[in-house]
Amino acid sequence: MLARNSEGLALTANADARRLRWPLRRRADAPIRGGQAESGLKRAHFTGSWLPFWLLAPQLFILLLFFFIPSVRALLQAFQLTDPFGATTQWVGFQNFERLFRSGVYWSSVQVTLLFTLAQNILTLSVALVLAFATNHIARGRGAYRTILLLPYAIAPAIAGIMLAFLFNPRVGPVAQMLQGLGFDWDPNRNSGHALALIVMAASWKHICYNYIFLVAALLSVPRSILESAYLDGAGPIQRFLRICLPMISPTLFFLVVINFVYGLFETFAIVDATTRGGPAGSTSILVYKVYQDGFVTLDLGSSAAQSVVLMALALALTFAQFRFIERRVNYSV
Amino acid sequence: MRPIHAVLAGAGALLLAGLSTAQAATEIEFWHAMSGALGERVDEVVKKFNDSQKEYVVKAIAKGTYDEVLNGTIAAYRAKRQPEIVQSNERSFLTMVNSGAIVPTAELMAEQGYKVDWSNFIKPVVSYYAINGKLQAMPFNSSTPILFYNRDHFKAAGFDKPGATWQELEPQLDAIKAKGVSKCAMVLPGDYEWSFLENYSAVNDIPYATRRNGLDGLDATFVFNKGKLVGQVERMKRLVSSGVMQIAGQGVIPVQLFTSGECSTIIASTAAHAAVVAAAKFDWSATELPYEQGVTPKNSVIGGAALWTLKGHTPEKYKAVAAFYNFLAQTDTQVWWHQATGYVPVTVAAYEAAKAQGYYDKSPTRAIAVVQLMRGTPSDNSLGFRIGNSNQINVAIMEEVSAAFLGRKPVQQALDDAVNRGNEALRRYEQLNAGKK
Repeated sequence: MLARNSEGLALTANADARRLRWPLRRRADAPIRGGQAESGLKRAHFTGSWLPFWLLAPQLFILLLFFFIPSVRALLQAFQLTDPFGATTQWVGFQNFERLFRSGVYWSSVQVTLLFTLAQNILTLSVALVLAFATNHIARGRGAYRTILLLPYAIAPAIAGIMLAFLFNPRVGPVAQMLQGLGFDWDPNRNSGHALALIVMAASWKHICYNYIFLVAALLSVPRSILESAYLDGAGPIQRFLRICLPMISPTLFFLVVINFVYGLFETFAIVDATTRGGPAGSTSILVYKVYQDGFVTLDLGSSAAQSVVLMALALALTFAQFRFIERRVNYSV
Repeated sequence: MRPIHAVLAGAGALLLAGLSTAQAATEIEFWHAMSGALGERVDEVVKKFNDSQKEYVVKAIAKGTYDEVLNGTIAAYRAKRQPEIVQSNERSFLTMVNSGAIVPTAELMAEQGYKVDWSNFIKPVVSYYAINGKLQAMPFNSSTPILFYNRDHFKAAGFDKPGATWQELEPQLDAIKAKGVSKCAMVLPGDYEWSFLENYSAVNDIPYATRRNGLDGLDATFVFNKGKLVGQVERMKRLVSSGVMQIAGQGVIPVQLFTSGECSTIIASTAAHAAVVAAAKFDWSATELPYEQGVTPKNSVIGGAALWTLKGHTPEKYKAVAAFYNFLAQTDTQVWWHQATGYVPVTVAAYEAAKAQGYYDKSPTRAIAVVQLMRGTPSDNSLGFRIGNSNQINVAIMEEVSAAFLGRKPVQQALDDAVNRGNEALRRYEQLNAGKK
């Protein structure tokens, strides 16, 4: 039964191929002579040894300039105590790291970062999912909705941050005054939770569009035939979404979770700087913001370098985890 | 051959002429942190200097906030592209002095043959920027905090003016809020570490750090977690948590909440005059900083910034720098600067000249800062502060004190933690700069 079925499929595929014009037919034929095609690929390598180097050079140069040199300098500086102007430099071994790991402020920053990235991830993904689900069910003006939803991505993080800080400012912000009018004592200047909520909102708002665009694409690629058969079996839109779409777009979800973590950990500095400046009392000072503050505001270069080395290690670990576990288990072709 | 000679000679002459016009005006760069109205005043004073003579041209360039200017300067210095003059705030004093990157102002002026009468400078200004009586930087924009208040609000609450002591002022602030005159009786300034703590300790003659607040050596330790300073932070916490004192927060500059008429008082730098005069549409006035009952108030300490001369330039350039400083120290320049910006004049002569012009009869609040700075004989606690790693310590103190405001820790514990974090940074500074001033 099964064998016959597959034979039938193969037959229709051949029939299709016969109907195609010759250049495409050749491509369609290619897999049949798989061995030859592969050896053809293998043969297509560069003969001169310098050409690949020159082709790679521009990218390598940029990496060298903006990644390798700064990384090495950060690594060196993490073991030094240095005057901001560079007049005096002392090698201090692990003093900077010791100081860092002993400091309660650093650990509370770690805590804040965990809380922030988790909350940001959940909020971003769930809102983007709801929006993607909704636009998928809109018949008219889908393009307009999508464009509007994508707009925040074009706004600079600093502007997004300032705007939210202003809207939610307990003294002058219209949204804050609305909240206070409803009897909610909103004050991010005196309440760490409110301040954290504010940066989570700001960071998510900026990143929802990115998640949304991926989710819309993923939802579109869910085969209609399966959805239709579920429909015939009497599944409602929410059930179809939860039982069919969600499992089928799980690779995209996994990918977005990783991206959101990376975004929350490393790219939210500008938003924090514009929205709360890490305050009040360091309650929104996430790790990457602390690197900036200690390096460029308080000129504590040694500590800042040590912190960026820790972050570098974290980034490496995340990348490793992504390749080792997620990439291997998730099949990207939906 | 002859015609060619003539051409060569002509070219040579042209070249020489070109060189001599280039030499005629030595150009120097001046990086500063003044924005808005104050930035325009800086451009004006520079233009006055450039127009006053033909030999030197100063180019004033705004480089952002004080932090950004300092960062820019450090980056430029490390890349050997530093400007001749850079403006840096008062708390960066030790960072600049021990940077190995500066030419002390007193040395520069002596070398260039200018006789400056340093004794004519206002004492707390000199004691801040001088080591062994020798000025390290050129005092430029010096300020000190004063209390601005909304007279309409005080009248509506049944008061004539703010009380001179905290014991009189506090009930007034409470009453303004309780009677519904204003929802915000005072707004917390962004630099409260300077205006509410350092200046409080100077005015009330309490030690903030040992070794005369660091003036006597790098081995100073903080002691602001004791006595009246704890009381001051308790007071601030009470005012914040009862809503009498509001925190402006991100996106809003505290002084805007005063000038908009929303908050009744603010303790701010006298340089806020510029903003208040421009924006306040109500009957406002100002008075001296409140102090503790039973204390004879001492002088307050300065804030603002000074001009630092950076190493690595030609003698020609330093001639220009010295001429510019000399111009700034002139009584006329100082009087103009004082009146145009709200900063205090840095010399006693300039203050006397402004007084003789009848300026303080017209604008009495402009004299408050000068009088407050010159009042009494400075004590060990009010001469000034010389704190290494001051940026780190500043952030640490503000973080701890605001943790107390949020109720995350008791005031005493917050101050203990602030002292510990501060002392740790001081020791690190001592470790790095062992054997320096």
